[in-house]
Amino acid sequence: MSDPFIRIDGVTRTYGEVYAVDDVSLDIRQGELFCLLGGSGCGKSTLLRMLAGFDRPTAGRIVIDGRDMTDVPPHARDVNMMFQSYALFPHMSVERNIAYGLHRAGMPKAQIATRVTEMLGLVQLDKLARRKPDQLSGGQRQRVALARALARRPKLLLLDEPLGALDRKLREETQLELKKIQTTLGITFIVVTHDQEEAMTLGDRLGVMNAGRIVQIGAPHEVYEFPQSRFVADFIGTVNLFEGTIAEDRDTDAVIASPEAGIDIRIPHAVTGTKGQDVAVALRPEKIVIARALPEPYDNTLAGEVRDIVYNGNLSVFHVLLASGKRVRVSRTNRLRAETEDISVGDRVELGFTGRSAVVLPS
Amino acid sequence: MKRLVALVPLAWLGLFFLIPFVVLTKISLSEPAIAQPPYLPVVDWADGILTVALNLGNYIFLTEDPLYLVSYFSSVKIAAISTLFALLLGYPMAYAIARAPERRRGLLLMLVILPFWTSFLLRVYAWIGLLKANGPVNNFLLSIGVIDQPLVMLQTDFAVYLGIVYTYLPFMILPLYATLSKLDVDLLDAAADLGARPATTFLTVTLPLSLPGIVAGSMLVFIPAVGEYVIPALLGGPGTLMIGSVLWNEFFLNRDWPVAAAVAIVMVLVLALPIAILRRVQAAQEDRA
Repeated sequence: MSDPFIRIDGVTRTYGEVYAVDDVSLDIRQGELFCLLGGSGCGKSTLLRMLAGFDRPTAGRIVIDGRDMTDVPPHARDVNMMFQSYALFPHMSVERNIAYGLHRAGMPKAQIATRVTEMLGLVQLDKLARRKPDQLSGGQRQRVALARALARRPKLLLLDEPLGALDRKLREETQLELKKIQTTLGITFIVVTHDQEEAMTLGDRLGVMNAGRIVQIGAPHEVYEFPQSRFVADFIGTVNLFEGTIAEDRDTDAVIASPEAGIDIRIPHAVTGTKGQDVAVALRPEKIVIARALPEPYDNTLAGEVRDIVYNGNLSVFHVLLASGKRVRVSRTNRLRAETEDISVGDRVELGFTGRSAVVLPS
Repeated sequence: MKRLVALVPLAWLGLFFLIPFVVLTKISLSEPAIAQPPYLPVVDWADGILTVALNLGNYIFLTEDPLYLVSYFSSVKIAAISTLFALLLGYPMAYAIARAPERRRGLLLMLVILPFWTSFLLRVYAWIGLLKANGPVNNFLLSIGVIDQPLVMLQTDFAVYLGIVYTYLPFMILPLYATLSKLDVDLLDAAADLGARPATTFLTVTLPLSLPGIVAGSMLVFIPAVGEYVIPALLGGPGTLMIGSVLWNEFFLNRDWPVAAAVAIVMVLVLALPIAILRRVQAAQEDRA
C-alpha cells in the first residue's frame, strides 16, 4: 500500500502538565473528508492548529504529501484553514479577502482576477464581490471564508466548526453544499466539530476524540452502530446501557445476565470476554419496540411503566421505568398523529429488542 | 433625559470654547489702544449712530512680518516631527501591552499613566537637571568615554523634541492600545495561513486595522504640541521659534491684544483645517466601502 496522504505520527502536545493531544496517530487518504469529533477541550482544535502550523507538536511528527511539516511555518504550508470565527479581514472587500492568499503566492494579476471570479461563482457570491464583511449575513461570511481558504487550491483544507455559527436550516443546506464542493475539487478536508450530526452527515470517516486521544476511527455508520467503548456509545447519539456479566459465551450465541434489565439478555453471536466478566449492553432507543402488548415475540422482552413522553414532532421518546429502577429510553416514529397515540404516561408497556441490535462493551 | 445629557457637553463647549472664541475674534478685529482694556470697541453706539469698525489690519500684519509665518511653520514642523517620534516609540509599546498576558496589562497601562501623578511642570524641570552640562546624562557618557566634553543638549531643538515626545507619549499609547487590544488574533493567524510572512501580516492587516488609533493618537499629540508654550520656554533655546511663545510675547510683553488674538485665531484655523480635511477623507473612505 502507498503512503497515506497525511500521516499524523505519535503526535503529542502538552501545555505544562496538561496533555492537550496525547500520542495521536492517524492516516488520512487523499481526497477524503475526515471529521474530528469530540467535546470541548478534547484536543481536536489543538490537533487542527498543529496541522495548520500555528502550534508545534511536543513529540511526534506530521507528514503531508510526503513532506515532514514539523519545522514548516504556517505561511509556507500548502494547507489552508477556515476559521471558526471566519477571520475575514474587515477592512477588505469580499474579492480582496479571496485574493489575499493569491497575492501572497505572487500570482499574476490577471490570473488572480480569474481565480477570484471562479471562487465567487463556486460559493455563489458573484453579486457581493465589493461588499465588506460587515455588510454580509452569517451564511454569506461563511462562504467568503470558504472561498478564501480554497482560492490557493491547498492540498489540505482544515475547517474549524465550519457550520457552528449558522442556524439549523442553513446548516443542513450548507452541509450538502460543502460536501459537493469537496467532491468537485477533490481536496482533502479535515473538519473539526463537536456536533455529531454534522460529523455523520459530512464525514467519509470520523475520528472520535476524548481527553487528547483518538478513541475510535471509522465510517459514520460503523461508529454509530458499533461503538467500541462506553464513551463513544454515549457521546454519539443516545444509548441505554445495561450493566451485567457474561453468563454464557458459546460460538454462536451468548447470554448476559443483567439484574438491571431484569432478564438474561440473549445475544445471537459470540462476544469478546470470558464467562463471569462484567460487561455493559448498549442499545440505541430506536432499536427497541414499545407496545402495551408486543404483537410478535422478540429475543429479549422487558416490562415497565411509562414515566414520561417527550414529543419531538417526528418522533416521540418514551422514558420507561423498569422494576430494577433503571430508566430506559425508547424512541418511536410518530406514524400517526400524537393525539391518536395508544400509549400514555402511567401505562404498563412491553419493550422488545433483538440481541443483534445490541453492542456488548467492556465494563 | 437624553437631551439633558447632551446639553451638558454642549453647555461646556459653549461656555468654554464658543464664547471665548467669539470674544477673541472680536478682539482680533479691533484696534489696539493705550487704554483699559487695551483695544478700541468694534461696535460703538453713540448719538444714535451704530458704528461697526472691523480692523483687518492685525491679520494683514501677520502676513507682513515674517516672524509669524516662520513661527507657525516651525511650530507645525516641531509638532509633526514630535508626533512621528511619539508614534514610532508608542506603537511598539502599545502593541506589547496589547499582546501581554491579560493579568499584566493593567499594571503596564498603569505605568504608562504613572507620570501624570506628578506635576507636568516638575517633570519638565527634571529634564533640565538631566540634560544640563554636568547632569547625569553627560556624566554617564563622559565616564564611559563616549564623549570627551559635555554635550550641549539644553536650549536646543533636541531638548524640545525630547520634552514634547516624553510629555505626550501616553496620549499616543492609550488610543493605540485601545485599537490594538481589540484586534482579533485570528486575523493574524489567517494572514499567516494564507501565506503572509510576519512583516507582510503587519503591513496588510495590523497596520491598516490600527489606523483609527494612529490617527487619534497623532491628533492628541500633534494638536497640543503645536500650541505648546512651557516645553520650548524651559528646554528650548533662543532659536526655538514656536507660536505659543510668540503669542505670549505679543500678549504680555507688547500688550498688543488684537494682534495676539489674531495669532491665536489663525492657530486655531491652522489646526482645524487638517482635522476637517482628514474627517472628510475618512467619511469618503467609508462611503466608498
